[in-house]
Amino acid sequence: MASIDTVVSTTMKVTCGRDELAEKLQLAGRGVSTRTQSVQILGGIMLRAGGGQLHLSATDMEISLRVSLDAQVEDEGAVVVPGRLLVDIVRLLPAGEVTISHRAEEGVAEVTCGSASYKLHTYAAEDFPRLPEIDPETAFTVDKEAFVETIARVSRSSSRDESRPVLTGILVRFEGEKLIMAATDSYRLSVKETALDKGPGQELEAIVPARALSELLRVGQGGEAGTISIGVQENQIVFGVDDVWLTARRIDGQFPNYKQLLPETFEAEIQLPRDEFLEIVRRASLMAQRKSPLRLRFESGELTVSAQTQDVGEARESLPMSYTGDTIEIGFNAEFLRDGLESVGDDAVRFKLISPLRPGLILGESDDFLYLIMPIRLAG
Amino acid sequence: MFVWSEATILHADADSFFASVEQRDDPRLRGRPVIVGGGVVLAASYEAKAYGVRTAMVGHRALRLCPDAAVVPPRMSAYSAASKALYRVFDDHTPLVEGLSIDEAFLDVRGMRRIAGTPSEIAERLRRDVRDRVGIPVTVGVARTKFLAKVASGVAKPDGLLRVPPGKELDFLHPLPVERLWGVGPATAAKLRQVGITTVGQVAALEETVLVSMLGRASGRHLHALAHNRDPRPVQARRRRGSIGSQRALGRRRRSAAELDTVLIGLVDRVTLRMRKAKRVGRTVVLRLRFDDFTRATRSHTLPGATARTEAILVTARGLLAEARPLVERQGLTLLGISVANLENEDAVQLTLPFDRRSGGALDAALDEVRARFGTAAVTRAVLLGRDPGFTVPLLPD
Repeated sequence: MASIDTVVSTTMKVTCGRDELAEKLQLAGRGVSTRTQSVQILGGIMLRAGGGQLHLSATDMEISLRVSLDAQVEDEGAVVVPGRLLVDIVRLLPAGEVTISHRAEEGVAEVTCGSASYKLHTYAAEDFPRLPEIDPETAFTVDKEAFVETIARVSRSSSRDESRPVLTGILVRFEGEKLIMAATDSYRLSVKETALDKGPGQELEAIVPARALSELLRVGQGGEAGTISIGVQENQIVFGVDDVWLTARRIDGQFPNYKQLLPETFEAEIQLPRDEFLEIVRRASLMAQRKSPLRLRFESGELTVSAQTQDVGEARESLPMSYTGDTIEIGFNAEFLRDGLESVGDDAVRFKLISPLRPGLILGESDDFLYLIMPIRLAG
Repeated sequence: MFVWSEATILHADADSFFASVEQRDDPRLRGRPVIVGGGVVLAASYEAKAYGVRTAMVGHRALRLCPDAAVVPPRMSAYSAASKALYRVFDDHTPLVEGLSIDEAFLDVRGMRRIAGTPSEIAERLRRDVRDRVGIPVTVGVARTKFLAKVASGVAKPDGLLRVPPGKELDFLHPLPVERLWGVGPATAAKLRQVGITTVGQVAALEETVLVSMLGRASGRHLHALAHNRDPRPVQARRRRGSIGSQRALGRRRRSAAELDTVLIGLVDRVTLRMRKAKRVGRTVVLRLRFDDFTRATRSHTLPGATARTEAILVTARGLLAEARPLVERQGLTLLGISVANLENEDAVQLTLPFDRRSGGALDAALDEVRARFGTAAVTRAVLLGRDPGFTVPLLPD
């Protein structure tokens, strides 16, 4: 990949097509910090012109995104421009060639396209943080589709509660020819194991911010088959997919020992057609507002899903099923239950329960994915 | 200050509520000392209290004091049902009911003389109705102020009725021990005792400034007002708060980031303790700032889920303060406040995976327990040591 050594130059001038520039800026723009009151330069995108390319980078110090595009470089140089603003300007420019030029002594960057001309105040490139490089010695590649699919299956369970940083991350573990990802917000836990054609050749484990992996999912989803390059370093993890480089700060700490959370035995195991069950859950969820639980009543031959919100109304719907055990009534957060059912990739789900106050386990037809969900204690 | 000339405020308080419900439901327990809860005494019947058994006492100690007591496990759903029945009776007597807890409320019966009789008659009927419809005894105090009505019911317990006639309030109040004042716990009482003050009358004889120097500003002013029976708070019909907050004036001196953090910690500790006491959880953390030039600003952040965990609220509040740092540097901070809005009742409880002890709020629960038993100053953070915790300010339940 391109080096990003800071080039201090008095001028920069570069021209490229609007469409590609807009697309790439949009991508890099996702790395721009939204908390710019403290460090303004992190609200910027660094533009660096050199070697026939324009390199864009942005970081909020948790993740960074870098992407390059071919360009006619007239003067090599670098400058940092307010990110959101530049993204919006370029997106709305008329189709055609866009020229960006910068003269350091003026402290502004000029963006022109046809008769449109913009002047933006800039930050100095030398003040922009140095972004980590991938170390070719330790880097390895894995199948792109397998990797992003694994992210997609677990990422919803990660926490957004900054007070427990470990849970805002996804545990990524390579074990032999197997990739394992786990995420939990302490209310539910998702674990996905994916077989790889080729692993990194050694055991590796890192807690990666879920936000970073969601960005990677966005970048890597669709498109052509291929690989993802991964470099795991002491504090950082670097991903390369197509021409995008994403780095993330590794989260320090101990990920919960999730294996220990999985109950060994269950009282009831119910098999249900996933789509039908999911439709019912989605419908009934409409009446589970303001933290009201979704109630699941398993009794002989029938599952009844119901929800009720005070001053709003209630919903009730049944689904026949083959179950012969004792009646169990259990409450779940509707969104968490929906997430679990949606994450199961198969046509049938297996629902394993112990009691209304113990976790429920949702599995597909195979054992490579599991979703453990804690109930809501029902009143009365 | 304007005070109604008629005593129309009722304070109704069920006697030994949990124990009374147990005695109601099991005739064998009637007339006997009853202790609810094994490890720690959750409630004791009046028969047990006569032996010195107190709420929050460790179980075996209580049994040493009262070996004949019947110990029964708590039945929270029965108490909750009884509480609802109790409030239905309250609501039938007046539209102005302000709940204080599951077994205690203020009722204002002003302007109801023609349809319902004098406040004393209403109070007597209320007691009878609670006895008939809920099956437990309730004590009622009647006075012109909420504070005095509460004192009166405390004095009239158990199963009593006491009206403090207007004009005779100070005669009633001043001979009472200081512990009767709302907000005087064991710690404040001890401080007062050290200087020879044991009665409310003695407190009333002190200048407000003297009290403030002894007890801190908020407590001092508060006690001074109460000792003179000044309590302008009206009875407010049951309206649950939309937010719970606390703030602190900082003066004009510039504060370092570490000092501000310490103040913030104190505020968050206090707010989250109140939330947990009120069984409320909230999603939106609001930081309030006032600057040197008296302009104000607020910063807020909404969490993905409602919580009353000290740690979660503190981290959010710190984030907000860090973001406001440049503003604070520029304009100088003279007041810092924190509140948690978007409050919900913590009823349908989302259970959590048991992977670490912090997640379940075990630390918060343990600290709350210590503070409930030994006073709010009994345990504090190292950074707050030696500071005025501001905790002694008595607050109405949220």
